Amino acid sequence: MNTTSNNVSVQGVIANLAKQFRANIQTYAIIVAMIFIWILFAIATGGRYLSAQNVSNLIRQMTVTSFLAVGMVLVIVTGGIDLSVGKVAGFVSVIVAQFQANIWNKILPGQELLTTILSVVVGLGIGTLVGAIQGYIISYLAVPSFIVTLGAQWAFNGGILIVTQGKTIPANQPLFSWIGQGYLKPIAGWVVALGVIVLLFYTMFNSRQKKRRYGFELSPLYMDVLKTALYSVLILVYVVVVNSFNGVSIPVLLLAISAVVMAYVSNNTRFGRYAYAIGGNREAARLSGVNIKKNVFSIFVVMGLLCGVSGVVLASYIGYGTVAAGQGYELDAIASCILGGTSTLGGEGTVFGAMVGALIMASLTNGLQILNVPSSWQYVVKGIVLILAVYTDVYFKKNR
Amino acid sequence: MNDENTVIDAQVAKVNTPAGDDIILDFRNVTKTFPGVVALRDVSLQIKRGEIHGICGENGAGKSTLMKILSGVYPWGTYEGQVFIEGQELRLESSSIRQAIEAGIAIVYQELTLVPGITVGENIFLGKEPLERGVINWDKLYADTQRLLEEYKLDIHPQALVKNLGVGKMQMTEIAKALSENARILILDEPTSALAEAEIEKLMEILRTLKEHGVTCIYISHKLNEFFAITDTITVLRDGRVITTQPTRNLTVEKLVSYMVGREMTERFPESHRQPGEVVLEVEDLHAVDPEEPSREVLKGVSFNLRKGEVLGIAGLMGSGRTELAMTLFGEYGKITRGTVKLEGRPISPKSSRDAMMHGLSLVPEDRKRHGLVLIQSILRNISLPNLDRFATWYKIDDNAELKASRTFAQSLAIKAPHLNVQCNTLSGGNQQKVVISKWLMSNPKVLIMDDPTRGIDVGAKYEIYKLINDLTAQGIAIIMISSDLEEVLGMSNRVMVMHAGRSAGTLDITEATQERVMALATGIA
Ligand SMILES: Nc1ncnc2c1ncn2[C@@H]1O[C@H](COP(=O)(O)OP(=O)(O)OP(=O)(O)O)[C@@H](O)[C@H]1O
Ligand SMILES: [Mg+2]
Repeated sequence: MNTTSNNVSVQGVIANLAKQFRANIQTYAIIVAMIFIWILFAIATGGRYLSAQNVSNLIRQMTVTSFLAVGMVLVIVTGGIDLSVGKVAGFVSVIVAQFQANIWNKILPGQELLTTILSVVVGLGIGTLVGAIQGYIISYLAVPSFIVTLGAQWAFNGGILIVTQGKTIPANQPLFSWIGQGYLKPIAGWVVALGVIVLLFYTMFNSRQKKRRYGFELSPLYMDVLKTALYSVLILVYVVVVNSFNGVSIPVLLLAISAVVMAYVSNNTRFGRYAYAIGGNREAARLSGVNIKKNVFSIFVVMGLLCGVSGVVLASYIGYGTVAAGQGYELDAIASCILGGTSTLGGEGTVFGAMVGALIMASLTNGLQILNVPSSWQYVVKGIVLILAVYTDVYFKKNR
Repeated sequence: MNDENTVIDAQVAKVNTPAGDDIILDFRNVTKTFPGVVALRDVSLQIKRGEIHGICGENGAGKSTLMKILSGVYPWGTYEGQVFIEGQELRLESSSIRQAIEAGIAIVYQELTLVPGITVGENIFLGKEPLERGVINWDKLYADTQRLLEEYKLDIHPQALVKNLGVGKMQMTEIAKALSENARILILDEPTSALAEAEIEKLMEILRTLKEHGVTCIYISHKLNEFFAITDTITVLRDGRVITTQPTRNLTVEKLVSYMVGREMTERFPESHRQPGEVVLEVEDLHAVDPEEPSREVLKGVSFNLRKGEVLGIAGLMGSGRTELAMTLFGEYGKITRGTVKLEGRPISPKSSRDAMMHGLSLVPEDRKRHGLVLIQSILRNISLPNLDRFATWYKIDDNAELKASRTFAQSLAIKAPHLNVQCNTLSGGNQQKVVISKWLMSNPKVLIMDDPTRGIDVGAKYEIYKLINDLTAQGIAIIMISSDLEEVLGMSNRVMVMHAGRSAGTLDITEATQERVMALATGIA
């Protein structure tokens, strides 16, 4: 039995928490920054900022670009970049809108469920295919990712214009709209939340059990419980807040699933581990038997798939396909990663960090909008915050 | 940077050095800590003008850290205690390493610091390029480089790109760069770890000349006999503390070792009872060219065979093609133009490291920083990287099994770190090397190729590595051990293949191999 967890003293708890904090100072710094921003806006808007409706909106607003950020983390971790994601997502959205508006009703009239599923399949398929083609050129033909994705950005910008013919394509069929605009019923929200919490605790105890079987020293039980409890409380707070408004939104749920899956993949599978090794030292990774081409290729395929998800959600969320679809999203996605601690040199970065980064970006935009700051100044503020955030990061690293 | 301001701090304190005026460097109660590690504890040490002062100690003892304080990597204020240079306190500002150079201190770091993509001359004059009306005078730069290289009889082309040099020549370039500073105090942190006998001899010669010119030199190495060849005084560090400082003539290798490791070590090589089995690897008349420059043949006919459970040592001078052979067998470098490689009777031609690993080959590469480690990752992640297949299913890595296996190796090689989640770039050089060895020992191959595996590793840990090598051969693994350390090759091998100019010049059974015979083959006289 593990002894440390038995004699819990106040000093011990504080010391442990402090240690934990110092070890993850970067992560916590950015969370602190986020809370700071929230407080600031809450005061400036007289509390409106933290109303249930606004919190629900804010988180929903960040989803479309966040899908892109989830994939972008691994791309940047391997030392690459993807400038095409915004336009690829936009392209997917207009294609899907085109199918919704003009194609399904001709070939499959009256089959709403089937056509919605097919729209999703088409969207994800196109995204994945685009990712595969770009990945092939980048990894097997050895053209730098910056160039390939810049080219693709232009190409898909053209693609969007060709598909839309400069017009807006409606995609507002009820079932299809549910993907981007729907909400879980409050009771369903609770069920999901409780399910996740049970799973969190189960995983925690299970992992302790396994560690014990291997005879490893365990971190104190209360620390693990505290951590898991904290996550659970966050989930519960979110559900309480949004349930008092509309309920858990579907795109947020989809985003959460994508982020958790990718976070798991990046830490707990060979694919993820290799990505970090490649970004950290490409030659050492190769000499360790890592198949670099295959790995980089796969990362772009995954990125493409996430562009597909983003595109489908985008079409459904705004309800039509437009010329401006996906405009500038790649920069939001990249900025989210960087804010979340992803190193532009490669080898470092987490999905969790990128999500916090995305939340910060969304919090800023949303707050400035509520305050009726003109969009010109919104850009100025966002730019300054990005640079400031990265400077703080550099500063912490240097003075550690 | 503003050059006028970068002299030693003006507010220097005049102090009377107790041992008189011939003390050029005086460390007083220097303590340096890193998070979780005390690298130096209350170190006091005096260095006399004009002497060659050796510093030795186990991996992680704090040698490099002490030197980095002197060169400004850890500036004044980031450590406790004081350092006096000719009676004045040295107060180097942060981010101003040039300041140390102006104070007359030049250093050759343990890890290579050259810029790979530019030429030898550009590297040597980096930051002090000769200018003519604001523009770099390239003719002068290369002429000066040429003169410098000739003065020290270094066979390096001034316009060669650094990345195309072998590690040995890079090391000599690094030394030339330090020499070009005309420093009063020259620090050499393991300058010979990548050099072969002939180059070491050359370096010793250079150091003797410098000494005649009154240059003070601090010399760090794990090759203990070098201390006796060249130093006047030796200081031993252990766990960040000074154990002793003594005139070299009062010491012996045995005494030095016992000061270093804190106990007696009677022998350098553990006993082994190897019984080589059938042939696993057969290489016949192997020719290969540089893939980037196909007209340059790097291997010009190498033949040997390797039996199960034996150690085949490969000796040879720098540039004799040993590393090229290792990399070619591992599918990484040379393009094979002629000859065959047979593994267990079947011809193989690995196209990549991955391919080679599938066939059951593993390679401990020569250049740990470039090929061996992902420096920004933890010890654990580095050790497990080539071995993930055995801990992983398609959807999951068993991180407990991973940790357990990695820990076994980290412990048996005594990697000095608080835990395995420490990033490799905070480890001392020797401990980094141990990580590289661990990761490949774990891979459990049929044939393990080790390219200078004990480079920069202290005597105690070397012994542990030799024991592990013996364990592996007892399991039937065949080992190719390339080494610049002739004693090691002779002490550990069953047979020794000597390479000369890209060819196998001959293979000697250990019973007939002597230093003289190996050297004769290596230099091409035999
Ligand atoms: N930047 C750093 N951060 C944390 N710990 C460090 C850092 N640099 C050095 N250390 C630690 O300080 C100790 C002394 O390291 P140092 O490099 O001086 O050893 P060394 O005597 O030169 O060893 P070697 O013979 O292996 O080169 C080691 O335990 C090392 O892990
Ligand atoms: Mg060192």
